[in-house]
Amino acid sequence: MIKKTLFFILIFYILTLIQTAFLVHFNVSGITPNFVLITVIFINLFSPSHWQKAFSAVIGGFYLDIFSLNNAGGFFGFYTLILLGLSLFLKIILGKYVRLPVIQKI
Amino acid sequence: MRTRLNIKLYQNIKKIIVILVILAIVVVVLNFTGFSKNIKNFFFLISSPIQKSFWQAGKNVSGFVAGILEARILKKEIDNLHFENQELLGQIVALKELKKENETLREALGLGLEKEFELMVAQIISKDISQDSILVDKGGKDGVLSGWPVITGQKVLLGKIGQVYDRFSEVILISNKESSFGAKIPEREVDGIVKGKGSFNLYFDLIPREKEISEAELVITSVLGGVYPQGLLVGEIKTIRKSDIEPFQTAEIAPLFNVKNLDYLFIITNF
Repeated sequence: MIKKTLFFILIFYILTLIQTAFLVHFNVSGITPNFVLITVIFINLFSPSHWQKAFSAVIGGFYLDIFSLNNAGGFFGFYTLILLGLSLFLKIILGKYVRLPVIQKI
Repeated sequence: MRTRLNIKLYQNIKKIIVILVILAIVVVVLNFTGFSKNIKNFFFLISSPIQKSFWQAGKNVSGFVAGILEARILKKEIDNLHFENQELLGQIVALKELKKENETLREALGLGLEKEFELMVAQIISKDISQDSILVDKGGKDGVLSGWPVITGQKVLLGKIGQVYDRFSEVILISNKESSFGAKIPEREVDGIVKGKGSFNLYFDLIPREKEISEAELVITSVLGGVYPQGLLVGEIKTIRKSDIEPFQTAEIAPLFNVKNLDYLFIITNF
């Protein structure tokens, strides 16, 4: 659990740095895909652990809040709340209406 | 069985509510005590060396990738460049004469950038994911204040300082949706307001309908509004939108800066 937590903290930190300093050079007509958001969605779709889903949303959102400079009038926590909401939304939708292949340990 | 399920569900809901309450408290505390600024500054401080390396690497790689992708049109461009080269050679001779004249005038009138404003050099560290603000490596400890204009070495207006941290500052670009300031087309004495549209797009608003403007004309800052010094380059007119029923016409402006190619910029500390 602690190992996975540290892994998530490190991975999302690196992803956010790459997002804000490296990938900004590769925009297509002014749009850069948000890889932090994509990773959070991916984890929420395919991870079997509820804890991982929620934590990825919180830590991804936290880093986006730190490294985004001008979101929602400087409201810190904007991305954390948005990603947590998204995680909850996916949980409800997937739980009720969709069945996806889940990666499980054999 | 059903009761056990209900207990589990109740416990889960309880857990979620507790987590949400803790999160809400943390968010409120961070926003209202201003502690979020310290956290941001700490992260910028420990990340800035890595970010600088990533920024440089991204710049090099994107240049290389763009070169490969544009190989097809390169040949056509070479032909055009040969033709342009001939023309430019002719112009160089004329410009050399003008340069001499210009240098004499600059000396006489003191038009040098450093003479016109008091400047502070800053390096770009990262760009916001919303794309219309950047982070530079000068902050409150360097004496930077919110609202100071930021320009390039070519006197092109980039924006103004927004949030100031201890060692870093946010630059709100003129293309940011929150940005608006007075500008004019110097050749025609047409005044209006330049507003940001986001994603490096700008438009020139509130131009009286009876005023004639045309594409590729330069737009510069005006004294109106007092946000920026007069005479900074903003961009050139791209498309004009004019309607018979509206009292004003608007025009899209192509900014003269490209953040991708910028490393250093200048903060105007006094104007």
